[in-house]
Amino acid sequence: MAFLLKRAGYALALLAALGPAVQAAPAVHTVLIDGMRFIPQTVEVKAGDTVVWRNKDPFPHTATATQSGSGGPSSPAIAPGASWRFKAAKPGSYPYLCTLHSTMTATLVVK
Amino acid sequence: MSKFTHKLLCATIAGAFALAGSAFAQTAPDDAQIAGIVVAANQVDIDAGKLAQKTTKQAEVKSFAKQMVTDHTGVNKQAGALVKKLKVTPTDSDLSKSLKAGGAENIAKLKGLKGKEFDKAYVDHEVTYHQAVIDALDKTLIPNAKNAELKDTLVKTRPAFVAHLEHAKQLQSTMK
Ligand SMILES: [Cu+2]
Repeated sequence: MAFLLKRAGYALALLAALGPAVQAAPAVHTVLIDGMRFIPQTVEVKAGDTVVWRNKDPFPHTATATQSGSGGPSSPAIAPGASWRFKAAKPGSYPYLCTLHSTMTATLVVK
Repeated sequence: MSKFTHKLLCATIAGAFALAGSAFAQTAPDDAQIAGIVVAANQVDIDAGKLAQKTTKQAEVKSFAKQMVTDHTGVNKQAGALVKKLKVTPTDSDLSKSLKAGGAENIAKLKGLKGKEFDKAYVDHEVTYHQAVIDALDKTLIPNAKNAELKDTLVKTRPAFVAHLEHAKQLQSTMK
């Protein structure tokens, strides 16, 4: 009996571990940097998701939260043709820009 | 740099573009000439940026100059790949020639300056130059580009010149 209970316990623990993953597998969202724009302008993701910025321009850009230390993105210079991955952990709305070309602005929303 | 020489320089650049503009009123540039103008325009700013990088003592001016070299080199690499693909050879025109002449004149002038005078002359010229290239893109290059990919590249490059202009203006405002 004790053995059976133990097994049931394991099964429950296993279900609990799998459960959230089945309900909301972390997604990967891509933001294109093309023609000096972040596309889309606003990207909405769930906490735990990954956002990938892909630079299609012929020169480097950054994706940098306007408020530093806020939990928003803070990339190094992303070279032409390169990508930068960011795991969105903390819910909030993060306006960000390219520090090299401050005319380039967009928003990341983490739900 | 004296107010007079600055005015003269601006007038020279404006004059060169006006002259080129009127020349185009009769003969619009073809794609090969447009490619030549793009390459010349970027090269002029790469040369000025390289000189500024090694001459200036100011961190903001140095990082701006470094970025100009990086960005304009990137645009020219892209332009080079495109003309290769389109089998177009960039050719000279009045505008490309006046751009090169203006660039050489700017370098010669800058080489005689140092310190704050150098920084101011460099940044002032960057403002004038980027504005002139934006005007050329709007009035001459984009409207006359025949090849769709070339036109698309010009349209996508324009915002970089706008961002550089804003950046140069912001630097200029800290130097008054
Ligand atoms: Cu940028």
